[in-house]
This record gives sequence, C-alpha cells and structure tokens, in this order.
Amino acid sequence: MFEVSDIVATYGKIEALKGVSLKVESGKITCLLGPNGAGKTTLMMTIAGILQPRRGAIRLDGMDLAGLSPARIVSRGVALVPENRLVFPQMSVRENLLAGAYQRRDRAGIDSDIDRMYARFPRLKERREQMAGTLSGGEQQMLAVARALMSRPRLLLMDEPSLGLAPLIVAEIFEIIAELNRDGTTIFLVEQNAHMALKVAHQFFLMEQGRITFSGTPGQLAEDEVIQRAYLGSRRAAG
Amino acid sequence: MVDLVQNTIDGLMIGSSYGLLALGFTLIFGVMRRLNLSYGPSVMVGAYLGTLVYVQLAAGPLVVLVVTVLGSVLAGLYVERLCFAPMAAGAGVASMVSSFAIWMQLEQAAVLVLPRHTYPFPPLATADPLAFGPFYLRVDGLIMLACALALSAGVQLLLYRSRVGLALRATINNPVAAHLAGIDVRTAVVFAFALASAVGGIAGYLVLATDQQVTPMFGMWATFKGLIAMMIGGLGSIPGAILGGLVLGVVEANSQWYFGPQVRDLLAYVLLFACLVLRPGGLLGEAPSRQQDTGRRGA
Repeated sequence: MFEVSDIVATYGKIEALKGVSLKVESGKITCLLGPNGAGKTTLMMTIAGILQPRRGAIRLDGMDLAGLSPARIVSRGVALVPENRLVFPQMSVRENLLAGAYQRRDRAGIDSDIDRMYARFPRLKERREQMAGTLSGGEQQMLAVARALMSRPRLLLMDEPSLGLAPLIVAEIFEIIAELNRDGTTIFLVEQNAHMALKVAHQFFLMEQGRITFSGTPGQLAEDEVIQRAYLGSRRAAG
Repeated sequence: MVDLVQNTIDGLMIGSSYGLLALGFTLIFGVMRRLNLSYGPSVMVGAYLGTLVYVQLAAGPLVVLVVTVLGSVLAGLYVERLCFAPMAAGAGVASMVSSFAIWMQLEQAAVLVLPRHTYPFPPLATADPLAFGPFYLRVDGLIMLACALALSAGVQLLLYRSRVGLALRATINNPVAAHLAGIDVRTAVVFAFALASAVGGIAGYLVLATDQQVTPMFGMWATFKGLIAMMIGGLGSIPGAILGGLVLGVVEANSQWYFGPQVRDLLAYVLLFACLVLRPGGLLGEAPSRQQDTGRRGA
C-alpha cells in the first residue's frame, strides 16, 4: 500500500500542492486526472524526491519516504517514468538500462533483467547499441519505462506516458501498462487521456488547483456529471 | 624547415600540458555546464603546497607531486562547495562570477603565505635532451606528452567503462533523469571536481617541474591556457581537449620562434577567434544546437 497524506509543496510563495492525500492499492493501476497546472507533475516529482514537500507524509508499506534523496527513494522501490521521458540521449539504449539499475549491485540479476527488457521490448533489443536520442518518441517512452523497471520497483510512477505520441503508439503503451500490472507491478499514473486511462485503471483521483477533488472507481468516474463534461466530453465531440 | 620541425616538437610537448589543463576544464564543464575560473588557481594552491614541502622539508619529487595533486583536489573541492554546490541549476553566471572571486582569494592567500615572487620546484628530469639527427627531444617534454596521452586515455576509459563513469555521463546527459535512475548526482559532481583537480594538479606539477619554479601568476596562466585549449578542441570532448592543447602548443612555439613572445600570445587569441568563427563547437565538439539548449533548460 502506497499512501500520500496531506502533502504541501511550494514554489517560492506559490502553493502547488495544498494538502494532497491519496492511497494507491498494491497490485492495482491508479490514475490521477486533472487539468494542466493542477499540480500532478509536482506531486510525482515530490514523491520521487526531486522536490521536497513542505509538510506531509509519503509512505510505501509503512516506510516514510518524505525527505529522502531521489536515489534512496529508488532503492526503497519507487521509480518514476518522468514526463517527456527524459532518456539519456547520448548514451546507448543498453547504457540507459544499466543506469536504471544503478542502485543495484547484483551483476547477474542486472544482466538477466536487461535480457527480460529486450524480450518485452524487442525494438529496444534491435537498437541496443544506438544512442537513445536517435530513437522515435514511442521507442524513447518504452526505454524510459524499461529504465524505470530496471530498478525492480514495487511502485511504478508514470507521468503522462501518452504525451506527444501517435494514437497507435499510445494504445501500445497502455497495452504495456496493463501487462506490467498483470505481472504484479503496482502502477500510479498521471494521464490527460481519460479515455485510455478508463480502459486500464482500477481507481481514479481527480486533482484541481493543488487539491484532490474526486476519487472513485471507473464506473463512478464515468457517471459523474462534471467529470463527464470536463474530461470525457471530447468523446462526444470526436464521435 | 629544421626550425619548424623542432618548434613543432617542442610545441607538442608543452601543448600536452595545455591539453591536460583543458581535460580538467572540460570534465567540470561537461558535468556542470558551468565555467570554473578558479580551476587554474586551485592548481596553483596545490603547487604552492608542493613548493612549501620542497623548500621547508626538502621533500623529494614524488612527495611534491603527491602534495601538489592532493592540494589541488582539496582546493578544487573548496571551490565546488563555495561556488557550485549552493547555486541552483540555471544560475551558471552566479557560479562563474563567484569562482572569479575565489580566484582572487586563493591568489591572495598564496601570496600571504609565501610572499616572494618565485619559489623553486624540483626538476622533472635532469638528463640531457635526446638527439635525433638535427632534432632534440627534451626528456621532461617526453614525460609530459606520455602523461597527457595516458591520463586522457585513462579518463576516457573511466567515463565509458566504469560504474562511476556511467553516473557521470548520465548526469552530463540529464541531471533530473540521473536522479530518477537512482544516481547520486551530488556524489557524481564532487567526483568530477576531484578528478578534474587531480588531472590539473598533475599537469601543474609537470609544467612547474619543467620550469623549476612557481609564481602566483601560475593560476591565471593555467586557467587561460586550459580555457583556450578547451575552446579550440571542443567543449566537453576529451580527445578534443588534448587535440586543442597540442594545436595551441604548436602554434605558440612556432610563432614565438618566428615572431617573438608578444605575437605568440596574439596568435593564440587569433587562433581561438578563428575557431569560434569557423567551428563554434571546437575542433572535435559538436556545434551548439538550439534543441540541446532547450533540453537543458527543461531539465
């Protein structure tokens, strides 16, 4: 069980997170929706330790993660696939994966995990000696996911994995998310694409202006009038 | 013709020390994307500690080398702590300006402790130059060249074949992503400074042992030579740093011989100017691209 309680984070005097609390159940896919500027990425960066919270607790299976360095948080079992992927452009695909396993010391385990990533993402295997910066957007997203998995996380955080990708690639990425979850990885993702998220996620939170304003199951989400209009309205417009 | 070849040989040897200084510069610049003007002065502090143990304790060359390198590393870490660690990402100018202030501080400290203008340094090699037909090879110059090639190859290996090298390159590529991969970026930065200062300390030792003396001006000299060689060779490129140093050395040696010392310095700057106009990224560096810039800012 992963739990965030009453997190406050600020940029200078601006409160980006105004007391955020939520729970992510083990083995499930939990999705955080919300408009631009709601604080979703800030929350992800705070959980990953890049930003320090002013207040509040972040707990994974009872261990407090708030205030730890990003490297410590990775070694405690939380890995973030950041917004815009952020692969290491001038390092090969293989080196990107090795970097993802930086906290681990088991050589044999790392090697076999790299082989597992190649099996799951065959295109990364084809391009393993290629510089990551030369990959397509979809390939970079797969590399970013694989890099995060190399730390063997108990909780995988994903910040807008579909951002800027073609619809076919988005479908593929969500396929992978569902697959990873079936294999037992707990996933907490931020997503603007509510339609895709509805297909895979078990639990939803809505964040607006630094606060959680809704939580519920996919069924409850689809029924909610306001959310219908704000986040799912595009379906009617498109079709 | 004989003169030209002899000058070129001499230029390659002194140029190898420029290359080592540029190597240290480029390591810091690559990791931090910031200019450390105090790089030369921290090597000077190491050299002053070296001459101190040489003069006071009559220490042998090896001890002087160790003291010089350790002193450079300590001074380099001091600069990192004061000018680089406290400055947020994106505050590159603040780091550069404060490193200029620390330069003044280090120079004044050196002059206060050892107020004479020059202090002796143990010679690197006292053997006669080796003669090859009409040409002469200085033994200390050969040692310098060999050290430059070995050290740059060693640093290259370290960067591309070791765990800490992986961490450094990941940090150079994208510091936020390095954090997220579980890399201790702070340790990587400190390591880069220590490594750069150690390389600088070895370069400083080789140069001063060849000159057999050290002055407080050595800090400025080392910063200038390293900076120019780095810019000629290409920011962030290790082979580029060595090549830039060698090119600078050859141009200087020849222009000194044919036109005198004033023109030598002038030509060094003309060379830099030509490089910046024709190949802004340096001989072996990549041309600075807009896309890369926005990537940095985003990080």
